[in-house]
Amino acid sequence: MRNMLLIAKREYLEQIRGRSFRISTVLVPVILIGLLSVSAFTGHRMGTGKHIVIAADNPALAADVRSNLLSNKRTHDTVDVVAPFTAQDRANLLARIENKSVDGVLIIENSASSKPQVTYISESSGDLMDTSKLDEAVNNGLINLRLTQQGLTPEQVEALLKTVRIETLQISSKGKTGKSQGMAPFYKAMLMTFLMTMPILLYGFDMARSIVEEKSSRIFEVMLAVTRPDDMLTGKLLGVGAVGLTQIGIWIAAGVLLSGSALLEPVLRGDIKVHFTLIEAVLLPIYFVLGFFLYSAFFSGLAATCETAQDLQMYLSLAVIPTWTSFAILPFLLNNPNSPWVAAASMFPPTAPLVMVPRLGMLPAPYPWWQVVVSIALMLISIWAVIWFASRLYRVGILIYGKRATLPELLRWLRYS
Amino acid sequence: MPVVELAGVTKSYESKVAVRDLSLSIEAGQMFGLLGPNGAGKTSSIRMMMGITLPDSGRINLFEKPFDRRNLDRVGYLPEERGLYKKMKVLDQLVFFGQLHGIGQEDARKRARDWASRMEISDSLEKKTQELSKGMQQKIQFIATLLHDPGLVVMDEPFSGLDPVNTTLLQDALLELKSRGKAILFSTHRMDQVEKLCDAICLINNGEAVLSGRMREIKSRYERNHVIVEFEGSAEFLKSDEIAEANNYSGHAEIKLKPHGDAQKLLHEAASMATIYRLELVEPSLEEIFIETVGGKADA
Repeated sequence: MRNMLLIAKREYLEQIRGRSFRISTVLVPVILIGLLSVSAFTGHRMGTGKHIVIAADNPALAADVRSNLLSNKRTHDTVDVVAPFTAQDRANLLARIENKSVDGVLIIENSASSKPQVTYISESSGDLMDTSKLDEAVNNGLINLRLTQQGLTPEQVEALLKTVRIETLQISSKGKTGKSQGMAPFYKAMLMTFLMTMPILLYGFDMARSIVEEKSSRIFEVMLAVTRPDDMLTGKLLGVGAVGLTQIGIWIAAGVLLSGSALLEPVLRGDIKVHFTLIEAVLLPIYFVLGFFLYSAFFSGLAATCETAQDLQMYLSLAVIPTWTSFAILPFLLNNPNSPWVAAASMFPPTAPLVMVPRLGMLPAPYPWWQVVVSIALMLISIWAVIWFASRLYRVGILIYGKRATLPELLRWLRYS
Repeated sequence: MPVVELAGVTKSYESKVAVRDLSLSIEAGQMFGLLGPNGAGKTSSIRMMMGITLPDSGRINLFEKPFDRRNLDRVGYLPEERGLYKKMKVLDQLVFFGQLHGIGQEDARKRARDWASRMEISDSLEKKTQELSKGMQQKIQFIATLLHDPGLVVMDEPFSGLDPVNTTLLQDALLELKSRGKAILFSTHRMDQVEKLCDAICLINNGEAVLSGRMREIKSRYERNHVIVEFEGSAEFLKSDEIAEANNYSGHAEIKLKPHGDAQKLLHEAASMATIYRLELVEPSLEEIFIETVGGKADA
């Protein structure tokens, strides 16, 4: 126990003091915020800020389409109207597209006929958002026009066309109905899966890399002469795990501080707001630690059989198994969080840390607490078993230098020590 | 009473027997040499003493009790494959190893400073290990092995890669530990060092002890049939019937007598042909005993 804590402390302090910790602590969020900002920025550019001219044979229709296009309060578009228009106007507008003083021209002809001609001319091939927005605006305008021509007043037209929003309700197991959260659970499940998989992969592989490094620096034999292999492994896991939690803690703290500031404003401008419940906030770190221990112990066992970092690369594909699995389960989870398969995945140790918390987020209260208890118990047992196996591989694997172990050799090692 | 004792220890890997029925014991205040050609089973034996691997059969006692990992705090081990944390500062590293062996942080720090000054590396304590030369790293490893003042010191090839000045520095430190009653075992294939430092040896070959005991006793088992002659004049006497083998290095001859060859007779013959400045009957060196015992049987 004493040595295990000493090893954990050494691992923690060395990594925290290391340059790579400082760099990754700063760089990862900077890159993430950078990417989000770029996508937010381009997103805004794509949908807004364009200068469009509507050329129509009917001024009332043109004004209606214009007001439809500008109905979104967040839009930065400028929309001018030329109605009615002549062939000369048309030629002038096309010339303005060429000299880039307007982004596009929407031409509406034969609006009184049953087959109006509507054309959008721009220099770029046009994006999906623009087309669908224009489509909606023009069609709404044309319907308005036709209904008004049928003798209806604008108020009657509005009453006729008033759309209805469908409210979705979710029924709990006690038979009460509550407001459904719409798309929020989807975003939340995605976010939680990312929150779990990325650090588990990053730190799990960090752990494996450090074991290969120590193996190649031959320090293990010195260590094994004073301490037991399972103490070494557990100590290392605790140390690296604590480093991971520290880093995530720093990111969360920085995120909370920055979220109030103007710096993140463009990123947070999106409508995705995810709220975590207290239970999720408690269970998320628990499952993170359990998942980290399970996968890292597994990676460590593999690392003990490797001779160099190159050998370790071979196992890289294994490292993405949690990601694949969790993302593969996501559609099933969203479809029916109560299905037996999803319930089983939320208790099966390799997938439990990635599935259980998002699943709870989608289930109505009361939560199936017995499943939470079973999944945590199963994970603890598996962690113990994996550490036991890994430390055996560790003890024998680290003493055999010069080649990477084959599968039959691995099985023999388990029998040996 | 023996500090470490192996009785009938055997260890096999797959079909290869690494150590077969090995017995030895090391007393307090004794410097013990474990000798043998490469692949003889030295490292395998040491790893069993340290609990890194377990014997298939036989018994290992440490500090007069059956092997118990808890007693490893009282052992200092320098493996053949050395290893230090490359990116860690030297002082932190020494304190870490001291703490692993059960000494307090402040105590470990003080001891590390004392040892560093003795080993002439005080200036390097705040440096990272990777910034130091191999010889310096070896000294740090040496200090890490001894920082907790172990009752038993086990060193696998402790002087390999060291220059003569540093070898002497380490040898002196070991002799001082011995005088303080520590038991020291070191494995090597450098016979001259063993001859100079060790009180007792065990020579192993193909996993088996082929020769063991106190150095004096072993040497006394072999006849004094080696003669060194310094002379001027004819070297014809080197063809004497008493001689089995002779190497003449212009005026300095090293001679091995035939079994029951007579050194007195040789002296007379030599004196009749040349001027003799020195004729000395010497005991065989450990190297010669080694070669004679292991002979062509060694793997390496």
